[in-house]
Amino acid sequence: MIVVLAIDALEHTLVEGFNCKNLMQEFHGKTDISEFSEPRTMVLWSSFMTGKNMEEEVMALGDEGMWHTKFDIKNTFFDQFKDPKIIDLPGFNYIREQHDKERILLKQFFDAQSEDEKKSIRTEYNNHAFEHHRKIKQEFIDALNEDYDFLLGYFSIADVIGHLNFGNRAMMKMIYKDMDEIAETIKNNYIVLSDHGMDKIGMFGDHSNYGFWSSSVKDFGNPKITDFAEIIKENQQVK
Amino acid sequence: MEKEKLKFVIVGHIDHGKSTLIGRLLFDTNSIPEGKIEEIKHLCESLGKDIEFGYIMDHLEEERDQGITIDTAQTFFNTKKRDYVIIDAPGHVEFLKNMISGASQAEAAVLIVDAEEGVKEQTKRHAYILGMLGLAQVIVVINKMDLVDHSQERFETVKKELIQFLSEINIKPSYIIPISAKQGDFIANKSLKMDWYNGLTVLEALGTFRIKENANDKPLRFVIQDIYNFDKRIIAGRVESGTIREGDEIKVLPSGENTRVKSVEEFLKEVTEAEAGKSTGITTEDKLFIDRGDVIVHDSDQPVVTDLIKANLFWMDKIPYKNGTSVWFRCATQEVPCDIEKINRVINSSTLELIAEDALEIRNREVAEVMIRTNKPVVVENFNKIEELGRFVLGKDDTIAGGIITELE
Repeated sequence: MIVVLAIDALEHTLVEGFNCKNLMQEFHGKTDISEFSEPRTMVLWSSFMTGKNMEEEVMALGDEGMWHTKFDIKNTFFDQFKDPKIIDLPGFNYIREQHDKERILLKQFFDAQSEDEKKSIRTEYNNHAFEHHRKIKQEFIDALNEDYDFLLGYFSIADVIGHLNFGNRAMMKMIYKDMDEIAETIKNNYIVLSDHGMDKIGMFGDHSNYGFWSSSVKDFGNPKITDFAEIIKENQQVK
Repeated sequence: MEKEKLKFVIVGHIDHGKSTLIGRLLFDTNSIPEGKIEEIKHLCESLGKDIEFGYIMDHLEEERDQGITIDTAQTFFNTKKRDYVIIDAPGHVEFLKNMISGASQAEAAVLIVDAEEGVKEQTKRHAYILGMLGLAQVIVVINKMDLVDHSQERFETVKKELIQFLSEINIKPSYIIPISAKQGDFIANKSLKMDWYNGLTVLEALGTFRIKENANDKPLRFVIQDIYNFDKRIIAGRVESGTIREGDEIKVLPSGENTRVKSVEEFLKEVTEAEAGKSTGITTEDKLFIDRGDVIVHDSDQPVVTDLIKANLFWMDKIPYKNGTSVWFRCATQEVPCDIEKINRVINSSTLELIAEDALEIRNREVAEVMIRTNKPVVVENFNKIEELGRFVLGKDDTIAGGIITELE
């Protein structure tokens, strides 16, 4: 089984700072996403799975429409596998209601006038994200014990919680350590990949303009996110 | 009355449970601000797990960063008997620099070792540093006993390995305690899970340690700053330790001449004594030759007068020390040229790796064990006896290194 741990907004400096050994693996570094005009989640994961820069295509769907992006498996490298399992990946099969609600609450938070209101929205937003995280985590860990030839688990917790809480280092550490523990449960070779990282803006977090990768097998240098389709295919042939 | 306070450090391999132990000490002594534990518990549950004490420190630091509490370097907890301060070192470099320069002084140390992993290279390096700093009050805790089924056999194996290493570097731990910081075994409370252990808990062990002696209770060390000849001859200086009183029989070092204190002089005040920490003047019965840098003591307990000093240095100058260079040795008000006669060992203060033995130079931020030869005899002390005369700096125009004296002839 080839495993990809796809983590939204996993920030290189924090992985190192919190000494997350299982996320770092033997080789790790930043990805080069400078070809994209902005570090957008949907654009980046779409480009990852197709192996092509999908910015124009995804952006053409508009700010709202792009969240409906759904590539057919034939257009992705997942098609190379007999029995792949993909969990909650944006642009492929991600759970719309969940992520739509995150965006709605986020907007409500910034529109809210009073501190009390903001506080209660933040709590609801965080709880919503954590509940989803627990579910995805369980699904991923269960899938590790099945016979898939390819498993990709997409985790949005670092991004979602990060947007409203990135300034809370203690909270982010707990999330990174949890992701590190999830990585520890993977017994096969795996790749950790993020679309972009995160910069601290006061209490909040905004997408940074590089992603993160790690591997136990090979040093990929400073790869593009579109390189991974080929990297994973090669990896499969080696096996 | 203010309770007494013991300062200590916790050292050991990064993954052996230091922050969990700190979190547990704070939790078991009810030293965590209201609501904080609930918040951490809630977050742990949000991630689908039981509370982890290791995060307590992170959350307290978070508050400090946000300016809610002011002290960045110290964590407090208290017991009925006394208050405790855990000195946090952001890194080895800061810790060593602070300890050697006197910015923060730990009086005791807890060395933590993972029962499962045993003694690691980092454990040894940390232990070595405790030895270098002359910390004599040491507790070893063998942590994560829950991961080895609370096995006495495993405990004894790790203990044996550790004691063997510690004896090589002349550290004799006061206690070796099997603990589980995670589950709270033998931190504040005893535990039936290890009924084969009938020693003290970590808190009980800390409770037996001595607090650093008050400088007033130590022997007299009055260091001379200047001599003023007014209508009388006033010898001005600072009482580094002890108390100087009118009528005291005193000895002037390094000359060794004896006389008696005629009066203690303070501007516009009638006094008969001066305590540690006080800058004051005295007059003497006999007119002796006294100079800046001399030290006045009582006959009963004298410091060492020597020109050969074994010390540990923290080098803080960009320009490395080259074997044979002459620099200033400054201790209290004494200032004499010296050179480093021998550089026994040099250690990287960041990684604590040994860089060289019998080295020829010491570079910026390195810690070195050295032999210093002064051009003329100086009055000094072992750092552990009287810190005030056991600490010195080396300098050219500016300070280039801080040091503590570990052995005297």
